[in-house]
Amino acid sequence: MAELSKDELLEIYECMQLIRTFEDRVSGLFAEGKLPGFVHLYAGEEAIAVGVCSHLTDDDFITSTHRGHGHCIAKGVEINPMMAELYGKETGSCKGKGGSMHIADVDKGMMGANGIVGGGGPLACGSGLTAKVKGTDQVTICFFGDGASEQGTMHEAMNLAKIWKLPVVFVCENNGFAESTPVGYHCSAKDISDRATAYNMPGFTVDGTDFFAVHEAAGEAIARARQGEGPSLVECKGFRYYGHFEGDAKAYYTEEMVADFKKRDPIGKFRQGVLDRNLVSEAELDKIDAQAKQTIEDAVKFAEESAYPALEECLTDVYVAYA
Amino acid sequence: MQSKIQNPKSKINMVGIIANPASGKDIRRLVAHGSVFDNNEKSNILQRILLALDALGVEQVSLMPDYYGLGEQALDGLKLSLDASILEMPVLGDENDSTEAGRRFREMGAGSIIVLGGDGTNRVVARGCGTVPLVSISTGTNNVFSRMIEGTVAGLAAGLVAQEAVDVNQVTYQAKRLDIYVNQVWVDMALVDAVACSDLWIGTRAIWDPSHIQEVVLTQAKPGSIGMSSIGVCLQPVDTHDKQGLYIAIGQGGISVLAPIAPGLVTRVDIREHRLLNIGDEITLNPDVRTIALDGERSIEIYQGQTASVRLTNDGPRVVNIQRCMAKAAKTGIFQARTTGKRRDIRCLHV
Amino acid sequence: MTDRTITFMEAINEALRQEMRRDETVILMGEDVAGGATLDHIEGQGEEAWGGVLGVTKGLVQEFGRNRVLDTPISESAFIGTTVAAAATGLRPVAELMFVDFFGVCMDQIFNQGGKLRYMFGGKAQVPMVVRTMIGAGLRAAGQHSGCHYPVFTHMPGLKTVVPSCPADAKGLLAGAIRDNDPVIFFEHKVLLFGEGPVPEEEYVLPLGVADVKREGSDVTVVAIGRMVSFALEAAEQLAGDGIEVEVIDPRTLSPLDEGTILDSVKKTHRLIVVDEDNPRCSMAADLVSLVSTQAFDYMDAQPQALTAPHTPVPFSPPLEDFYIPSVDTIVEAVKTAVNGS
Repeated sequence: MAELSKDELLEIYECMQLIRTFEDRVSGLFAEGKLPGFVHLYAGEEAIAVGVCSHLTDDDFITSTHRGHGHCIAKGVEINPMMAELYGKETGSCKGKGGSMHIADVDKGMMGANGIVGGGGPLACGSGLTAKVKGTDQVTICFFGDGASEQGTMHEAMNLAKIWKLPVVFVCENNGFAESTPVGYHCSAKDISDRATAYNMPGFTVDGTDFFAVHEAAGEAIARARQGEGPSLVECKGFRYYGHFEGDAKAYYTEEMVADFKKRDPIGKFRQGVLDRNLVSEAELDKIDAQAKQTIEDAVKFAEESAYPALEECLTDVYVAYA
Repeated sequence: MQSKIQNPKSKINMVGIIANPASGKDIRRLVAHGSVFDNNEKSNILQRILLALDALGVEQVSLMPDYYGLGEQALDGLKLSLDASILEMPVLGDENDSTEAGRRFREMGAGSIIVLGGDGTNRVVARGCGTVPLVSISTGTNNVFSRMIEGTVAGLAAGLVAQEAVDVNQVTYQAKRLDIYVNQVWVDMALVDAVACSDLWIGTRAIWDPSHIQEVVLTQAKPGSIGMSSIGVCLQPVDTHDKQGLYIAIGQGGISVLAPIAPGLVTRVDIREHRLLNIGDEITLNPDVRTIALDGERSIEIYQGQTASVRLTNDGPRVVNIQRCMAKAAKTGIFQARTTGKRRDIRCLHV
Repeated sequence: MTDRTITFMEAINEALRQEMRRDETVILMGEDVAGGATLDHIEGQGEEAWGGVLGVTKGLVQEFGRNRVLDTPISESAFIGTTVAAAATGLRPVAELMFVDFFGVCMDQIFNQGGKLRYMFGGKAQVPMVVRTMIGAGLRAAGQHSGCHYPVFTHMPGLKTVVPSCPADAKGLLAGAIRDNDPVIFFEHKVLLFGEGPVPEEEYVLPLGVADVKREGSDVTVVAIGRMVSFALEAAEQLAGDGIEVEVIDPRTLSPLDEGTILDSVKKTHRLIVVDEDNPRCSMAADLVSLVSTQAFDYMDAQPQALTAPHTPVPFSPPLEDFYIPSVDTIVEAVKTAVNGS
């Protein structure tokens, strides 16, 4: 892989920091009672979404999970409509009809966060099939968690992707917990990449808290898929700072675990890494931090000032045409 | 000069086992069609080792704990006479676990340590195990130091050494190693190769792109090897037992060689120069080096202004020559027993 | 109309063929829709092994190739989900869910993904997919291969449901379903598949949401679904001999439902009988009776009646299965009761 340019490094940092700032702010907003419904936050897993999506264009597809904000931002979904969607406002990405668990922007190739664990696997095969039938070089990334790896849909999807040689990369975000249940309990294989053998595709594990490891791994897997060489399974091991959903008391985390998370923080490691190598200056990174804060504050303002959808909106968008 | 085995509590008749659940799982599965060692198979190998140790009459076996629970899985349902248990130690889930287990086995007076992993795993075990003889079974990607060997046989060899049923000095050898210094401070070691790379980042750790390699330092270059040492084979073979190593500078200006630098990856590598090293020689790496790969994995990051050097030493771990161990044991008649009368210390050879 | 007579099955096949010729984004997938994938003596010769479990898709792979007629593993979640996202990203896929009873293993992909995607995305996606699936009792296929279950899908917002009753309707409605920009579940009754009828050779499209008055009458409205349409028509023929004029309405699509045609009819006849092969609870029969009771109560001269299967799975034993299916005789009886009073 070619080394990343300074501009690229700054863009990557900005994207990871935007995700973190967005999620931290959403956590606060939720605690203040400003956000309806449920939110599942991605903080701690930024290196995965950004490491993978930095290889994609708007023409490529991703399927996401209930923990989808990070995937959205990394795939280029606009921040203001995202925040407005969380508020259920008419200016939201989905006009306020989807909410956190269904943010999507098909024009950006973001095929939706998904409220069904494991729901995205078969969908990834669908966009993969479109690319294959049409003969394009578009790639689909299927993000799924360690919990989803136990769903039949994921097994079916990986098998289908392999037998049809679809341009799909299955990226397992193994954050150690399916809701509150540890992967050591729920997973017969423990290393989810081991399962790739059963589907006769390459599978391997990388450190999901190391941007450069994810970026390098995803780059190879995506290039392979783009060249028509079929699917692969990349397991990224990491953690999430927040609970399964906001309001989760996180009784399954110990103080030691949380201390360990902080040591492995993907943004902290990235920041230290680029500074140690004199690739960027601290001032440049600080400026991005400040900008990210401002962007998110602007988004909150945008969302709060936006109107709720008109009640008639309840009845539209069910069908393209219905008569 | 080979040092004598010094095992303060050799009578304890104990074998330590370190199985790395993460070996054979990196990106080389994708970029180089590396062998897949799923953890079920590692657990199966552990079971075969345990059966062999049990059959020999080894008294005690201790297994490194790991996030996967390879040891627990292996012991589950296995009927053994020996005392097998999981070593009590904190599990960090990274390479330091193997180093720590090696250190503890040494302190506990283990007669031998069986390692399941690739060269990378043996490297980190060697950081801690001192002079306890290693029996290395390959379940990794790059396997020069560790060998493809049936677990049952490896178990027998490790057991024979631990029981001192063979002359340990005769069936083991002292491996060479490479010590890595950054700004004159020792930071790590390698058993087979230290490779200076231009990659800015450790990233996925594996190395597979020859265009990123600047310099290679080898303890050995044995014909038939895979990985970076295969480059040396094309230039100047160096045996495990030779008191020499090899330095290779990659780049234009000399010849090029065709070498299997990773499984599935036979490629041309340009050689600017190469020379033999003697024990004690130290190579100062090119100032452009950004990462150093040890035994196949990018492990050390070098920043601008730092100086990195590699020194060939004779301070590697003591390694069991399985072939020789089995031959010596057979020659002494240890596997024989009269069909009537008392058996010797071999209780059962059904394995 | 036309002199040409073909089977229901051939009509489906013809619609698929004509749509695939017209639009290269139309693809088929399902278990054994071609059959024999990768076998040299079959695929190697450009042939197929089955062409669908009953041969409905026979011959299509020869014309369109394996890139557009895809045999799937027995993996309904995977290929129905594939259908959803292939539709959302630019194809017009037609999936075959062999028997509707199998919906249990892929329902999430149908209703949570396919049916809700557009709404959840605020209208910024469309899912022009079709799932063809076999329904109905009568072939002694027993409990897990004989249900109708179309109310389950009709219940789901975002899905459209189509139940054709004759070959000509099947061809036009399938073309309409494929060209429709929403997800359509298309139910093919396995007994009807073997029946014949006149079908025009040229392409034509029947719109979804338009009921068909199969027979005009003034005394009683019988709304029948799928195979029950032919039963209702037979009953009407018998009753005509007794001087009772039955109007037979085939809704053809259950969602959208052509309420107007049904309500106009009962306002004329003042009597409603719904004939449905499906189970009674939360059924189309209950839904139609409710529709008429709430929208046309003042016009009714008799209480609406629902003739359905009993609230049981479909039994295997031939006399039991025959008993399960509403019969022409029960329709005749019900009509007489409605007209003459009990």
